[in-house]
Amino acid sequence: MNPMIASASVLAAALAIGLAAIGPGIGQGNASGSAVEGIARQPEAEGKIRGTLLLTLAFMESLTIYGLVIALVLLFANPFA
Amino acid sequence: MSDVSNSDTVSPPAGDSMQEFYQLQRELLLITLGLTGIIFICVWYFYSTNIALNYLLGACTGVVYLKLLARNVERLGREKAQTGKSHIAVFVGLIIVATQWNQLHVMPVFLGFLTYKGTLLIYTFRSLMSTPGDR
Repeated sequence: MNPMIASASVLAAALAIGLAAIGPGIGQGNASGSAVEGIARQPEAEGKIRGTLLLTLAFMESLTIYGLVIALVLLFANPFA
Repeated sequence: MSDVSNSDTVSPPAGDSMQEFYQLQRELLLITLGLTGIIFICVWYFYSTNIALNYLLGACTGVVYLKLLARNVERLGREKAQTGKSHIAVFVGLIIVATQWNQLHVMPVFLGFLTYKGTLLIYTFRSLMSTPGDR
């Protein structure tokens, strides 16, 4: 592989996963914190709160996964190599 | 606004309130398996057995991912202070195997993995449609 392409791919992979993790990371932290706070306030609604948290975390994490796929494809199955 | 500190309200035991969460888990699993079966047959019919098996591998990993995520959410605030990352490791392993093994293709595996997202969308829309008077 051309060293220029290889270094650009590694850089792009690092940026892809790094940038893709920022937003969902903040969102997941906020959601989890609020959910735990909600459970502490209303233990009788624990199941409902955890269910909603599961759905929201799965939705948010898929955004990280998109970046992760781009990064892994660039590293292991680079179409420009 | 309801008064949550009212002493008259009797809070159910934790096991009872968690039944709703376990029910959601079961429902998500069943919808994912149903979707996987339907899409697997369609892909088998319109593409090839190899692509269909690729899809199936991705979908099965998606189910494992969802189970691990649910387990992490269940443990959140009890045993662990934050959600773990074991479910991400499952996905990373899948994509690395898909890129390294010649028999596997990245796209069908990845789209198979995303079946769980279709499940979440179906569940969310269904719950929105079924409870219009709750909000």
